[in-house]
Amino acid sequence: MPELRRDPIIGQWVVVASDQESLTPMAYEKEDHERKQKSVCQFCSGREGYTPPEVAAIRLNASQPNSPGWVTRVVPNKFPALKIEGGLDKRGIGIYDLSNGIGAHEVVVETEDHNRDMADLTPEEIICILRMYLDRGTNLAKDKRFKYILVFKNFGESAGASVEHAHSQIIALPMVPKLVDAELEGSSNYHKFRGRCLFCDILEQEYADEERIIAQNDKFIGFSPFVPRFPFEQWIMPKNHQPDFFALSEEDLMPLAQMIKEVLARMKACLNASYNFYIHTTPVGYKDKDVYHWHIEIMPQLVNVKGYEWGTGLYQVLTSPAVAAGYLRDVDLS
Amino acid sequence: MPQLRKDPVVSRWVIIATERARRPGNFVTYQNVDFGNKKDCPFCRNTDPEIYAVRPQGGGADDWLVKVSPNGTPILSMETKFKRHGFGLYDVIDNYGVHEVVIETPEHIANMADLSKEQIQRVMEAYVARFKDLEKDTNLQYVFAYKNYGLASGSRPIGHARSQIIAAPVNPLRVKEKLVGAKKYYDYHERCLYCDMYRQEIANGERIIKETEHFVSFTPFAPRFPFEVVIVPKRHSCDFAEGAAGLEADLALILKDTLLRFKLGLDDPAYNYVIHTAPLRRKRKGVKWQTIEEDYHWHIEIIPKLAKAAGFEKGSGFYICSIPPEDTAEFLRKVDIHA
Repeated sequence: MPELRRDPIIGQWVVVASDQESLTPMAYEKEDHERKQKSVCQFCSGREGYTPPEVAAIRLNASQPNSPGWVTRVVPNKFPALKIEGGLDKRGIGIYDLSNGIGAHEVVVETEDHNRDMADLTPEEIICILRMYLDRGTNLAKDKRFKYILVFKNFGESAGASVEHAHSQIIALPMVPKLVDAELEGSSNYHKFRGRCLFCDILEQEYADEERIIAQNDKFIGFSPFVPRFPFEQWIMPKNHQPDFFALSEEDLMPLAQMIKEVLARMKACLNASYNFYIHTTPVGYKDKDVYHWHIEIMPQLVNVKGYEWGTGLYQVLTSPAVAAGYLRDVDLS
Repeated sequence: MPQLRKDPVVSRWVIIATERARRPGNFVTYQNVDFGNKKDCPFCRNTDPEIYAVRPQGGGADDWLVKVSPNGTPILSMETKFKRHGFGLYDVIDNYGVHEVVIETPEHIANMADLSKEQIQRVMEAYVARFKDLEKDTNLQYVFAYKNYGLASGSRPIGHARSQIIAAPVNPLRVKEKLVGAKKYYDYHERCLYCDMYRQEIANGERIIKETEHFVSFTPFAPRFPFEVVIVPKRHSCDFAEGAAGLEADLALILKDTLLRFKLGLDDPAYNYVIHTAPLRRKRKGVKWQTIEEDYHWHIEIIPKLAKAAGFEKGSGFYICSIPPEDTAEFLRKVDIHA
């Protein structure tokens, strides 16, 4: 028997299948991730001139910018959703509000190797990607026009990736995205009421229930949330209270990279699905350090969102998170 | 220069691409035309139990024009008594709800756009009747009708027009966001946000698609998807069943108009619609819905399936719409639906 579950952060009700009736990984349509663009790929080493000039890179042996010899490279998006030059010019038309589409849109090329995705990289290589996120995020946050730095990744065509070479994206926005805003409001209310971080409390319950945990190390945990919006949705969270991803400490880099590697490798072995991931963190300059807890949300693309789900926000998930976590945990990574 | 626009109801920011990189004709239409076989259609000779039907005068049992049946694979159903329980931090309700199929015609016609106005009117009358009936179960909080047309919309490959009704014991998140947004506006202005919106749209004109005696259809100022359309009744009512009662003919007219413009202008795309109404309002203490009669306004959202939401939207709630709604409205207005 399915049940309706309400997530305690934004208050969304989701219809979740029971463990007994849950769909297995085999029940979802599989996608092939054959690489076809290598001969024309602009993100491959040796084709640096095809992208806009790099804004940051981790390079070996003091190689020159915009030439080969890099491990991870950040370039402006050639087709940015938002433009970097100009003022916001906020204005109203009757009941409507609008402004110019100001923002930054950058691409993090995660490796020079065309044939590997983040799941195939070593933790050391993933650390380089994380360093680029932190470096660019911290830099963009200095721009007074920007209120939020969103780091996200689309892997696979059905998850919206038009380029198959491993990359993630950074968008600096002059407004806080709706979902993050809703999470902040929910966790602020919870904190007002209980005086504790909602996300820390969620982790306490995850430790106690155990069945939704996929992996953990000293510093980080990967789990399937009790109220997912998508089948096999996974979250990675720091175990101790940390509001701001961009304030990540040096010593957390390796355990985070290891956790990302493990979760993505398990997901690849179990589902081989296209996926999206997002880092949810506090807005730029957010003063209250107690109410929010940064985390990574990972959503494999296994089903299409149905019309009524877009329309109402009442989602149906046909694999329970406990069953999903079981499959992901049972993957033999050796 | 792209624009950032804010949805006035739920305060969602949307990036509107204005570079005209996408012309209205350049959209890929997601419509896998696999409508199955008429011979195997489970809706042509439907033997499912009948919850409600519209019949011609003196019609027999098999002579229905519109028939409402239980959904064979319901998202929610009455498997058990209504029960709320807590699970640590979380709130849980055991499976409880109603999921019905509205078979819109006895004929094997796939797209509602191809039904006559009179037939669509009967479908609207069936919605009104079902909404009024479902309201009687006091454990239910929200009723909505929706349609998935075409495979890309989530519909099964059966070329027979039908829509669905779900009654849930909770308020879905987007509904809650709309209610909160409309209430805030009302608290400040003491006017209905949707009334102000449709009046501004009519005065401005550039996003209007069609105006009838009782309804207006337009592309929203800050749409999430290209060619998104909303139909708003001019007569203020928070409740679909109350507000649409008596206006079904005019509603059918504007709905058919919209769906025909999609079909002819956008090459028969898959599409969805959802009827948004106020939650079921119970007479009880606590006055939770103190001003809802005044502050909320029922409406229909219609979205053709032309663009997949990429990663950015799904995880942030920040949308990128690749064409301004003024352009899509102009395009839809120019579609010759009488050809």
